Amino acid sequence: MSNGQDFEEKERERKVRRTVFYLIFAGLVLIVAGFLTWKLSGLILPTIVGALLAFVFRPVKDRFRIRWLPHELQVLCSFAAIGVVLFFAFNTLRKHIPDEEQKLEFKVRLKYKLNDRYRQLVAKLPERKSNAVTPLIEKEVGPLMDKVNQALALDPKERDLFLKYAAGYNGKPPIENKFVDYFWANQKTGKYVIPEKTLAGAAQPAAPVAAAPAQAPPASEGASLENKLSAWMLAPLIFVFLGFDNGQIRRFFISLVPNRYFELSLTVLDELDDAIGRYLRGTLLECFLVGLALTVGLVLLGIPLGIAVAIGVVSGLLNAIPFLGTVIALVIGVGYALIAENVTPLIPGLNPNDLALYVLILVVIVHVLDDVVFQPFVLGSAANVHPLVVVIAIISGSLIMGLWGMLFAIPTVVVVKTAVATFFKELKDYRII
Amino acid sequence: MSARKFAADKLLWETLGRWKRSSPELDRIQFLKTVPFFDRLSNRQLKTVSDIMFERRYDSDESIFEEGQPGAALFLILNGKIAIEICRETSTTRLAVLESGAFFGEMALLDDTPRSANARALEPTRTLALYRNDLNDLVHRDAKAACQIYRSLAGTIGDRLRLTNELVQTKTPADMA
Repeated sequence: MSNGQDFEEKERERKVRRTVFYLIFAGLVLIVAGFLTWKLSGLILPTIVGALLAFVFRPVKDRFRIRWLPHELQVLCSFAAIGVVLFFAFNTLRKHIPDEEQKLEFKVRLKYKLNDRYRQLVAKLPERKSNAVTPLIEKEVGPLMDKVNQALALDPKERDLFLKYAAGYNGKPPIENKFVDYFWANQKTGKYVIPEKTLAGAAQPAAPVAAAPAQAPPASEGASLENKLSAWMLAPLIFVFLGFDNGQIRRFFISLVPNRYFELSLTVLDELDDAIGRYLRGTLLECFLVGLALTVGLVLLGIPLGIAVAIGVVSGLLNAIPFLGTVIALVIGVGYALIAENVTPLIPGLNPNDLALYVLILVVIVHVLDDVVFQPFVLGSAANVHPLVVVIAIISGSLIMGLWGMLFAIPTVVVVKTAVATFFKELKDYRII
Repeated sequence: MSARKFAADKLLWETLGRWKRSSPELDRIQFLKTVPFFDRLSNRQLKTVSDIMFERRYDSDESIFEEGQPGAALFLILNGKIAIEICRETSTTRLAVLESGAFFGEMALLDDTPRSANARALEPTRTLALYRNDLNDLVHRDAKAACQIYRSLAGTIGDRLRLTNELVQTKTPADMA
């Protein structure tokens, strides 16, 4: 055998060895990754959130580039700027997050106002039509009202607590007498739908809505919360460390790519980065615009600025969930409008008693504005996903990860769609397939 | 200070100095300084450019890119030899053999038009690759450095155009036919 043939034979053997080695190594990596994902599933969400935040805020970090300043110091400056903005935003929001007393008060007010409105609605019906319409409304809306009442009913513990707060408790001033009256009125609220058995003859009085028995919190709840909190500590850490990255992570992954796919992988990564970045930042901007429009609208309707900002921020954030975000905004807005008192709309000619209706119209206007103006201008065709896929993705997301799953469903679909489309296009362009 | 301590300190500083001088990063910057394409850049700018370049190693006879593929990066030969070839149905024409310090694929810095020739390593070769979009980003981060690179690129393309024009002018109508 000549030297040349010997060399070729050795090279062929080396190639086979290399392929076997790579396959075994890839298999081991997959097994370890699968095991870690299964065992550390609680860390996945904080990691994703931290990484996404770092990705979304990267342009802010890049804006802070000052040539004579070391990279680490520049990153710290950017984080300080982002931190200050987030601190003020959360601080404003936190002030309007109801505490224990306010939560009880809101529940009492909401229950009272809803029942009051319902009774007014039934009483307002014209005499001549009452025979036909009233039973229909009572049949359709009555059971719903019973369910709402059951949900808003205070359990015995909450009732005791409310009465304590009513007299002044925990260093807080007593609850307004008006709301204490609402509380007593709520205790007399009966069921709107009388069970058939009762109709049949068992002369039972319409008892107040039974409160759901309070469940004792499980013993491990505290520990579980602590675990969750410690897992969530990972999100800011990942955010900071990814912020310090100056392209090293990308270089590392590119260095693992075989030479044949070097330019291809650079192009694919870059296009993905561009498309996903545009989508995520566009979504964030769209959420901000929706939140801003809602806040301005609520302020014009006479809702206090702080509450309007809080509703705007929550609704804006939840706007990232298609369809459901609008519904949640509607529920929060109308819910507040129903319990709001002494509201004076800034727009002349509006009747404060119809605030809930105006909020409903406002949410619809903002939704239309989002569909017609914000989305086309901010997102363009970046989120061109079929509505059916959107619905399936949201349902699947909610089944897998609850609210977070719903929030991340569409970004995940967009990422996968963009990745697959870009990858196949580039593979063809580079004549690999 | 005792003589022994002084000698130990001296040895330490010499070792540190040698280690610093021979770091791959410094080697790379020293190398970039010798490349005409980057000769207008300052040391700091060279460091910035070096940070965005990718080092790739090719075995003998390994393809770097092929004719018709979209171009994405300029390649700079650190060491080794590269053949630039055009393959036709029956034959392969070797246009050039490039060695350490030479660069190729520079048109990819402008756009992703397909490569006009194949590049193949003739021996184990190390290259530095400058990706087009990284250079585009450099415009925002260090506009002066990016400007100098584009200037060198324009100069290189201008030289090639001049050479082509001269070649066309020296050809007779019969040759053209």
